[in-house]
Amino acid sequence: MPLKISSSPHLKTRRTVPFIMSQVIFALVPAITASILFFGTKAVFLILNCIITSVITEVIILKVRKKPSVIKDFSAVLTGLLLALILPPGTKWYAATLGSIFAILVGKHLFGGLGSNIFNPALIGRAFLVAAYPKMLTTFQLPKAFANFAVNSVDALSAATPLALRKFSHTITPSIDLFFGNVAGSIGETSALCLIIGGIYLIIRKIADWRITVSILTTIVLISAIGYLLNPLNGSIMFHLFSGGLLIGILFMATDPVTSPITKTGRYIFGVSVAAIIMIIRYFSGLPEGVMYSILFMNAFTPLINRYTRPRRFGE
Amino acid sequence: MIRIEEFKQPQHNFRSVKFLNPKKLILPLSQHTGRPSSICVKMKDEVEEGQLLAKDEGFISAQLHSPAKGKILNIASFNHPVLKKGNAIVIQCSSEKKNYSLRKHVDSLENDEIIDIVKNNGIVGMGGAAFPTHVKLTPSKKIDTLIINGCECEPFLSTDHRLMVENLKEIFIGIEIIAKLIKPEQIIFALEENKSEEKKLINFYINTKKFNLPKINLMVLKTAYPQGGEKQLIYSTTKRKFPGGQLPLDAGCLVHNVATCFAIYEAVYLNKPLIERLVSFCGDSLVKPKNIWVKIGTTLQELFDQKILEFKNEPKKIISGGPMMGITLNNLEYPILKGSGGFLFLRDQVTKAEESACIKCAKCIDVCPMNLLPQEYVKRVKHEEYNNLSELNLQDCIECGCCAYICPAQIPIVHYIKEGKIYAPEN
Repeated sequence: MPLKISSSPHLKTRRTVPFIMSQVIFALVPAITASILFFGTKAVFLILNCIITSVITEVIILKVRKKPSVIKDFSAVLTGLLLALILPPGTKWYAATLGSIFAILVGKHLFGGLGSNIFNPALIGRAFLVAAYPKMLTTFQLPKAFANFAVNSVDALSAATPLALRKFSHTITPSIDLFFGNVAGSIGETSALCLIIGGIYLIIRKIADWRITVSILTTIVLISAIGYLLNPLNGSIMFHLFSGGLLIGILFMATDPVTSPITKTGRYIFGVSVAAIIMIIRYFSGLPEGVMYSILFMNAFTPLINRYTRPRRFGE
Repeated sequence: MIRIEEFKQPQHNFRSVKFLNPKKLILPLSQHTGRPSSICVKMKDEVEEGQLLAKDEGFISAQLHSPAKGKILNIASFNHPVLKKGNAIVIQCSSEKKNYSLRKHVDSLENDEIIDIVKNNGIVGMGGAAFPTHVKLTPSKKIDTLIINGCECEPFLSTDHRLMVENLKEIFIGIEIIAKLIKPEQIIFALEENKSEEKKLINFYINTKKFNLPKINLMVLKTAYPQGGEKQLIYSTTKRKFPGGQLPLDAGCLVHNVATCFAIYEAVYLNKPLIERLVSFCGDSLVKPKNIWVKIGTTLQELFDQKILEFKNEPKKIISGGPMMGITLNNLEYPILKGSGGFLFLRDQVTKAEESACIKCAKCIDVCPMNLLPQEYVKRVKHEEYNNLSELNLQDCIECGCCAYICPAQIPIVHYIKEGKIYAPEN
């Protein structure tokens, strides 16, 4: 009778890494649907391009690094998908491909691969593209479904995002448009409703930790409430919650386990800091939006936060 | 703490059965926490049931008695489910049985006499750690709360459950004896909410007021693992905490398992040493999972030879203990010890696990009942950085296995922690 000898415990959860990754992808389905609805084939090609490039890049790098292929874990798929969702609909195919390669190669594998990266790979990919193609990455279009069909041109009309409108034209977009996604923006970030559905699913299934999301939300609400009271042109609470990349950022990227703190206290600190930096950028900087930079910035502080927020042992 | 699948249904509702006439017994000298007992019999000696085989050695140690009438065949090193190998006494048993009669004048016994009875009958904690009971009954500090542990939080195992359903009166008499010795202000009988059958019975016994007990409450806790652990149970029932290195009595608490209460009853009322116990045998490799009363020292092989247990298929893992903290065995030639609560024979219920890279999800940290940093330990042990493991309170780890259970990367965290404990310098 050949018997297996192993250390306890002999029971293990069925919630493995591939399961968690596929759950996050599943939670993004509403946002993917919205992006296709609003931006049509452009969104489809962008998403497919990023996912396929990411997966191919991952396979090649793992081969070169002589590591066992772990494509089954879906992490490259997720990185590609998230990158696609935070790109403007007008992103050219070569830019999307380059961005995906950069995300996997530099964002993930230069740091040691899955679990060892310091920065969120999808955001690294986008940050690279913003630097490489600043014009392309800041040119947005109104959603196809709601655009003026009288114009009916092949290329959709170029339009400013709600945050850019606020910053540069002092116009506040109605919250209701922001909520459903009838605004210009990156393909996956426009519909607050779809992102919230996915985010709530992740938190209820305990895939994403609520502490980061809740502390970001609370801080944004507080700061934007004060801002609104001082000057309504700063934008209302709803405006700040539903505009830009905030929801996709705080529900799907700030909660990335690899790059966020491991301690509970650390997660609160991380969340509050991310939110504060987002609002500082939105209010005081030359940029209309700051979700990407604030998450990347706080990713860099994660090891430090971990070190200073170690939990006290039971009984102390 | 975490909620895990309980796997308790199959044998939950079967009455326990008895197998008390084995042919051979193997009795390791170290079946308890503390020093091994020292042998006081020789090869080829004829021994009676209940006769002392080995004396306690020092304060924290326990006596060992012969579970059956028979002849000493051998005294040699033998398989030990916890220590791998250990000196043991091998007895060839005859089928003769001993009858135990009720001791007279129990009420007139002095406390010292009761403690001597407990000690001279080799009683140890039956929850798993097998700590000598007479030591726990002579605390150096005032105990205000006595906690009776009926949680049995490990999946599969159900001996405490069966004992509470079938022998609750004896358990209550045992509690009465402990209460007489300790004089606590209150007694908390702790159960988990998955044990509804005994809940009614316990409430009935509490309400009869037949027993001479101080204020006693039944506390039904939310099912969680490892709630049966001493520290966790004290916190769940009294909200008292104490750091590693301290004992429950530093928090004014004393925890006894229900099976220990039963053993105390048998020792005091019947003068019967700890020579038998109820053991759960479960898993998907068995034709029928069972709870069986066996003599201490019975080997697993004998239970199968005598067709008490039967294999449905070939198991992939045999585990001594529960699935969360149990130890894997490499064959059936292992004896049942005083502290053996169960044995598992698993085939498809063995979780296939392939270790992958840590994604720092920190679920291990979230579930750790001791508030430790399992993920950090794994990282350091993998890099052989053992030096500051003690600073991170590695020694506080109770190896409950919650972290390794929940780990999505299937990292055998407990394995790394055990390695770390071996190499970490003591501070």
